[in-house]
Amino acid sequence: MFARSLTVNGAFSLENYQHLLATGRSWQLLTNSLGLALTTAVICTIVGLPLGLLFAKTDLPLRRVFVLLFALPLVIPPYITAVSWAEMLAPHGLASGFFGEATARKLSGLLFGLPGCVLVLTTTFVPAVMLATMTFVRTINPRLEEAARLSARPLRVLSGITIPLIWPGVLLATTLVFLLALGEFGVPTFLRYSVFAVESFTQFTVSYNFGAATAAAVPLALLTFVILGIEWFVLRDKIQPLRPAGDDDAYLVPLRSYRVSLFVLVSILCALLVITPLMSLLLQAGSMQSYVRALHVVIDSLIRSLFIAAVGATALTVLGFFIGYLVHTRALPIWRAADAGTVLLFALPGTVIGMGLIAFWNHAATNLIYATPLIIVFGYLAQYTALTGRVTVGSLSLVPASMEEAAASAGANWMRRLGLIVLPLIRNALVVGWLIAYIFCLRDTGITMLVYPPGYDTLPVRIFTLMANGAPPLIAATCVLMIAATVLPLLGIAALMRTQRRRSWR
Amino acid sequence: MALIVFDSVSKAYSGKAVLHDFSLSIEHGQRMAILGPSGCGKTTVLRLLAGFIAPDTGSISIDDEIVANNGKILQQPEQRHIGMVFQDLALWPHLTVAENVEFGLKAQGIPKSERTERIKEILELVEMHSYLRARPAQLSGGQQQRVALARALVLQPKALLMDEPLSNLDDELNQHLRGELLRLHAQLGFTLLYVTHDRAEASEIGTRIVRMRHGSIERIVASGEEPRRQMEIKRSF
Repeated sequence: MFARSLTVNGAFSLENYQHLLATGRSWQLLTNSLGLALTTAVICTIVGLPLGLLFAKTDLPLRRVFVLLFALPLVIPPYITAVSWAEMLAPHGLASGFFGEATARKLSGLLFGLPGCVLVLTTTFVPAVMLATMTFVRTINPRLEEAARLSARPLRVLSGITIPLIWPGVLLATTLVFLLALGEFGVPTFLRYSVFAVESFTQFTVSYNFGAATAAAVPLALLTFVILGIEWFVLRDKIQPLRPAGDDDAYLVPLRSYRVSLFVLVSILCALLVITPLMSLLLQAGSMQSYVRALHVVIDSLIRSLFIAAVGATALTVLGFFIGYLVHTRALPIWRAADAGTVLLFALPGTVIGMGLIAFWNHAATNLIYATPLIIVFGYLAQYTALTGRVTVGSLSLVPASMEEAAASAGANWMRRLGLIVLPLIRNALVVGWLIAYIFCLRDTGITMLVYPPGYDTLPVRIFTLMANGAPPLIAATCVLMIAATVLPLLGIAALMRTQRRRSWR
Repeated sequence: MALIVFDSVSKAYSGKAVLHDFSLSIEHGQRMAILGPSGCGKTTVLRLLAGFIAPDTGSISIDDEIVANNGKILQQPEQRHIGMVFQDLALWPHLTVAENVEFGLKAQGIPKSERTERIKEILELVEMHSYLRARPAQLSGGQQQRVALARALVLQPKALLMDEPLSNLDDELNQHLRGELLRLHAQLGFTLLYVTHDRAEASEIGTRIVRMRHGSIERIVASGEEPRRQMEIKRSF
C-alpha cells in the first residue's frame, strides 16, 4: 500500500504526498483527527473508570443490569448510534417533544460536527474502558486491598491501592479507544466531520484515486505506529498478570448512604447515553410494517452478514488460538513478531487495512479470493486476530503448565495434548473469543465497505447505503434489525453457557 | 482481662459451615497459636477478627467493645487497630518499602515528621532500614517478610494476626524468622494470634495453642503440652 502511494502512472513519484501537504487541508485533517481521538479517549476514561469501579467494587443495586446496558453500544456499529442520536434530535424526534423544536434544532446543529462525533464515539467506547477497568479490578489479589483496609477507609484504598494497581490496564484501554476513534470513518462520515479516515475513503470511492487515498491513509498508519510505540515504552512490564478471580473472596466497598444517590446518577447516565437514543430508533421505526418492509429489503444482506461473520469468527478463533498458544508458550522465535503484528493490525484503521488488501489481492491471479466474500474474511483475519489471540493468551495463563507437562510425561504427542487437555480446559474462553470476534465481524464497516465484491454487501454496508437515500422509518427499522442480529445470538449463547455451568455444578 | 473475645461465633460460606459455635478469649500480650489442617476454619477466625467478614451468629469483642455480631460489622477494619501479616504477605507492588510502611500512617492522619520517625524506627527494628526505596519485587522472601511485619507493627496495633506467614520459606529461614518474631514480641509486647498447620511452629511461637478441627476448637493447651501429647499419640501406635 505504501509502495502504491509512491507511484503515479506506474512511475515513482512523491506527487500524492506533495498534493497532500501542499494544501492547508491536510493539517486541518490532522488536527481534526487527533482532536476527535484525544477528546473521545479522555472523556471515555473519565466516565468509564468510575463506572467500572462502581460495577466491580461496590454494592450498587442492579450493577449487572447496568453493565449489560452500558456495554450495548459497544456491540452495535457506531454509526447506528449516530443515527439514533440524529433521530432523537430530528424536528419530530424525542428531544423536540421534551424541549421544543427550536432547542432540538440547536442541539441537532451541535450533533453534526466535533461535539456530535465525540458524543457518539464516547457512547460507543465508554464500555471498552469500563469493561477493562472491571477486568483488571477483578484480577487484583483481594489481600492487597484488605491489607490496606486495616488502616484506611474504602475511598483511600481505592485511590491509594486499587487505582494505581489497575492504572496501566486502564491506560491501555484509553490508548485502544484513541486508536479506534482515530480510525473511525462511519460516524464522521454521517455527521460530516472531516478526518483522515473519511478523506482516505472518499479519495478511493468517489475519485477512485488510489494513490491519493493511500497517501491520506499513511499518516493514520504512522500515527498508529507512534502511539503503539509510546504505549509499549510506557506500559511494558507494568500490567499485572491476570489471576483467576473468585467472586466469594472479592472485596466490595459498601456505598452506605451514597447507594441511592449513585444509583440515581448512574440510571440517569444510562438513560441519557443508551436507552433514550435506542428508544428514539424504536419510535422512528414505528409499526411492525416497517420491520417487515425492512426485512424484505435487506434480508439477503442480513443472511450474508450472519454467515460471513460466523465464518470469520470461526476462522479468527482457530487462528487466534494458534497465535495465542505460540505467544504463551514462546515455542518459536517468531512469537514476539506474531504478537506485535496482530496488535498493530488491530490498531490500524479499517480503511487502511482495506486499501492494503486491495493493493495486495487485486490481481488476475488472485481473483478467486478478491472477487469472492473470502476477501472479507481475509480482512477480518487481518484486523481482528489480536482479539482472539489475546483471549487465548489470557486463558492459557490461568492453566498451570504442569497440566500439559503431565500429559506429555504420560506419552501424549502435541496434537493429543492440545485436543485432550488444553482445548477442553480453555473451552469457555474460546467461546467468549468467538463471540467477541463475531460481534466485531458483524459490525465491521471499515474493511467491508472497501473490499466487498459486487452483490456481496453485508448489512452494515447496506444500512450505510440506505442512510443516503432511504426513508427514516426504513433506516430505523433496519438499524433495529442489525442490533437484534448482534444481540440475540449473544443472549442465546450466554444462556446456553449458563445452563451448562449450572449442570456442571450439580 | 481478655483483649479479644469470640462468643459462640458461627460462619458459613454458600451454606457450608466453616466455623461452628466458636468461643475463645485472648489475653493482653499473649502469644496464641491456632493449629489445624487446611479448611478447618483457622483463617476465617483471623478474617472475622480483622473485620473483613461478619459472623453469621455470635459476637466478637475487642477491648470490651463488641465489633461484630449476628451478621453485622459494627466496627470497620480500620477502626479496630489490628495488624495483619497475610500468607502471601500482600505487599503492594507499586509502592517502595518506605511507602508500604507509610500507607497506614498517612491514612490515620499522622503528621509527616512523626511518620518519618516511626518508619525509621520500625525498619531499623526489623533490620530493613537500608532498603527504604526498594520495591517488594527486588527483595528476597525473608526481606519481604520483615517488611510485611514492619507494615503491620508500625501502627502499634492492639493485636497482630499472622496467617501462616512462614509457610512458603525454607526451613533455615523459617527458623530464623521465628526467632526474630519472638524477639520483636519481647521488645514490643503486642498480642499475637498466629495461624499455622505446623505443630513445631505453633509450639515455639504460641504460649497457648488452640487445636481446631472441622470449624470447632478441639482443645486448648499450653505450649509445653503439645509435643508431649504428640509423643503419647505416637507411642500408642
